Amino acid sequence: MAAEDLPSEFDVVILGTGLAESVVAAAFSRVGQRVLHVDRRSYYAANWASFTFNGLLTWIQENQEGSHPEEAQDWSSLVEEGEELIRLSNSDSTSISNVQVFTYTSEEDEEEEEAPNTTEEETGGAEGDAVKEASETESADSKEEETEEKQEETAEGGGGGEEEQAPSTEGEEPEADQPAPSAAQSQSEPAKKKKISYTKLVKEGRRFNIDLVSKLMYSRGSLVDLLIKSNVSRYAEFKNVTRILTYRNGQVEQVPCSRADVFASRQLSVVEKRKLMRFLTSCVEETEEQRAYNGRPYLEFLRDQQLGDNLQHFLLHSIAMVTEDTPTEEGLASTRNFLRCLGRYGNTPFLFPVYGLGEIPQCFCRMCAVFGGIYCLRHSVTCLLVDKESNRCKAVIDSRGQRITCSHFVMEDSYVGVDRKKVDTPTRFLSRAVLITDSSVLPSDSDQQVSLVTVPPIAAGRPAVRMVELCSSSMTCMPGTYLVHLTCQSVGSAHEDLSPVVNSMFRTPESPDQETRPSVLWCLYFNMADSSGLEVQGHDLPSNVYVCSGPDAALGHDHAVKQAEFIFQKILPEEDFCPPAPNPEDIIYDGDNPSPTATEGEAEEGEGETKEEKEVQEQEEVQEEQSLHPEE
Amino acid sequence: MAIRELKVCLLGDTGVGKSSIVCRFVQDHFDHNISPTIGASFLTKTVPCGNELHKFLIWDTAGQERFHSLAPMYYRGSAAAVIVYDITKLDSFQTLKKWVKELKEHGPEDIVVAIAGNKNDLGDIREVPMKEAKEFAESIAAIFIETSARNAVNVEELFQKISKQIPPLENPEVESNESFKITRQPTPSTRRCC
Ligand SMILES: Cc1cc2nc3c(=O)[nH]c(=O)nc-3n(C[C@H](O)[C@H](O)[C@H](O)COP(=O)(O)OP(=O)(O)OC[C@H]3O[C@@H](n4cnc5c(N)ncnc54)[C@H](O)[C@@H]3O)c2cc1C
Ligand SMILES: Nc1nc2c(ncn2[C@@H]2O[C@H](COP(=O)(O)OP(=O)(O)OP(=O)(O)O)[C@@H](O)[C@H]2O)c(=O)[nH]1
Ligand SMILES: [Mg+2]
Repeated sequence: MAAEDLPSEFDVVILGTGLAESVVAAAFSRVGQRVLHVDRRSYYAANWASFTFNGLLTWIQENQEGSHPEEAQDWSSLVEEGEELIRLSNSDSTSISNVQVFTYTSEEDEEEEEAPNTTEEETGGAEGDAVKEASETESADSKEEETEEKQEETAEGGGGGEEEQAPSTEGEEPEADQPAPSAAQSQSEPAKKKKISYTKLVKEGRRFNIDLVSKLMYSRGSLVDLLIKSNVSRYAEFKNVTRILTYRNGQVEQVPCSRADVFASRQLSVVEKRKLMRFLTSCVEETEEQRAYNGRPYLEFLRDQQLGDNLQHFLLHSIAMVTEDTPTEEGLASTRNFLRCLGRYGNTPFLFPVYGLGEIPQCFCRMCAVFGGIYCLRHSVTCLLVDKESNRCKAVIDSRGQRITCSHFVMEDSYVGVDRKKVDTPTRFLSRAVLITDSSVLPSDSDQQVSLVTVPPIAAGRPAVRMVELCSSSMTCMPGTYLVHLTCQSVGSAHEDLSPVVNSMFRTPESPDQETRPSVLWCLYFNMADSSGLEVQGHDLPSNVYVCSGPDAALGHDHAVKQAEFIFQKILPEEDFCPPAPNPEDIIYDGDNPSPTATEGEAEEGEGETKEEKEVQEQEEVQEEQSLHPEE
Repeated sequence: MAIRELKVCLLGDTGVGKSSIVCRFVQDHFDHNISPTIGASFLTKTVPCGNELHKFLIWDTAGQERFHSLAPMYYRGSAAAVIVYDITKLDSFQTLKKWVKELKEHGPEDIVVAIAGNKNDLGDIREVPMKEAKEFAESIAAIFIETSARNAVNVEELFQKISKQIPPLENPEVESNESFKITRQPTPSTRRCC
């Protein structure tokens, strides 16, 4: 399996495997264009990726160390007459920042404590990664000391290296921080289940698929439509988001979404139920009354509907998911979108892919490969060769110094040098936190819920936070744990923006008295640049070079899908964007004997029939049952 | 009879005959100039097994492995993996270990592994002794079989062996939030409410 040389001619070369780039790759390959798709990283999906626990620890380490840009090599010998060479940026040091890790669970299981040395060796690398935070210069010795100390106290975990960032952990008694039962404690609290240790998280690391971005798929959004239209949806399975929750007055409450929910709701009074139903019915169609509020805050409109605080909160924060100063027309559009997406697949407007969002770019890459696209990870493009006269990119030079001609070049924004990027607005950032917890924020009959939790600003000037809690059957975390993603537009660093929410909603060493809350076993904070303001073209780049931006702050995926379609149509305006791939039953290998489409055992089988139990298809009638429209 | 869908993924160096094995199995057809795997996301074939029907969804690698860039999603939910080597190419056998390791890293834990030594019609230019391959397979508790996609030798048998090793369906836990596929055609509506 010696690495072969790549072909030296393609129609489209694509650098970066984020969502937009991957959709572009699939779209081109599907209509017969020869596509080369490369990524300098060793994994798919760039900042849209998902990682196993151990994979994430490596990612953390890489991002704490900062990047080591490769030596810029001299490829001038490959430049032909009339050509100019443009170097691409070879380090992605700006998109991820403020990475902070806290381990709140004990290092080892209690029983295993006698033999810490062997286990330590096993997990040494990974453990080092997580603990090393902010202590890169520490000697191996002092690190060991720290680990031992931690085991004695069975407290703090990664906090040992955290002094600078988390001063509040310092003053507290480690014993008080430690919710894991000591021998004495477990006698007094026999019902309390044993906390999962850090070693266990590492050992079961493969059961985690931790996304760098946290989004959901609107059931009638552009991504779901594209997945279905192109048949790429075959490559993945999905789960319904089962609940929408909100955090309010220090409590987690369920937001009634369906008619049944509304009527079953115990939080709402009969009057409120009627008001809510009436409001939701009335807002489906635009009215004169609504237009009168254009340009004024949605909150004002809601207030004037005399809905009361409860409903106002649900409508603004959980259904429209907008802020208090969002204009009415936007708030209404958002509310309508929510209602439109209800009931297609389930009780809420949202789907989540099993194994995490990182699957989606991979699914599009698979489609590209299936139609002949060539994939190369750990491989980059270092330079563009530009024809001076036409200002078009004629060829690229890859990281091995191979000259590859292409008609079009599509790239992730982080490869564009700062000097060539046209940036209109100052870069925005996303604040992200990822928690592994031991129970749900709102325990219910089923422990396998997927929940969206809207958390309005906890104080003036604080960001509104969006939280997604995933259960183990979503294949994103090990059984017995929940994976919680928090996201907001950055105001400060991720830790500044999100730790107040974490500490108010969860039990951590900083909020040890939150005894009824889920405990945080491990958490990660980081900021990610939101480059969605970047234009596809208009940079100081050749005219046939297109730039894709990274993940944005929105809950859905519209931005990336629209961007991909825009690039495709710009290059191939006549072609269909992602037409359906043939059904597996219809594929015949070319040969002298083109047999009919179906073979034995398959002939009688229509599409979807055998999968009836598994495939949930559009249920138009369900919409009527489940949506919020009242009957009369 | 209940139909059970089983995803099977194929692994192995380029040119060992993965696509030819699938083509033989699914369409009982062999083509000397089979085009590199294009357009086939996966192929399906249903075979009886005990009182179940096994519908194999066979995923071929689409050439991605050529540059060591197979996506983890390729392995997701696979019930079995077939690692193919070419008995006339020692290299292709030596990389088996790499594929086994890759599978351990990315594949599901309970995956059934089968090793297929293909092109056994070319015994006269054999480079990989059957005994060695068999021992290796035993050492990792994998199914072992030599096949010829060309002469239709042992291809059915390969999949039968896999079928037999698939553990019977456990009591499917009634779980409220099951995962599902999303597809194009809406089912004809069976009920209509007013
Ligand atoms: C995550 C979270 C944590 C919280 N934690 C606490 C806590 O620990 N302790 C606590 O006491 N409170 C807490 N609150 C409640 C908080 O103090 C405010 O109620 C909340 O931030 C503002 O309400 P809202 O965003 O839900 O919007 P709304 O309740 O809709 O109100 C928005 C603003 O408009 C005003 N307003 C509302 N209705 C009217 C009306 N009809 N006419 C005129 N003005 C109106 C409100 O006073 C408020 O200033 C919390 C809220 C959240 C979301
Ligand atoms: N003699 C002989 N040739 C075979 C056999 N199986 C496949 N071949 C030939 O081997 C070549 C490669 O077969 P493919 O099925 O395309 O191999 P592959 O593993 O799918 O290759 P990639 O798609 O490139 O990864 C073709 O020329 C086949 O005709 C076999 O059993 N015997
Ligand atoms: Mg093939």
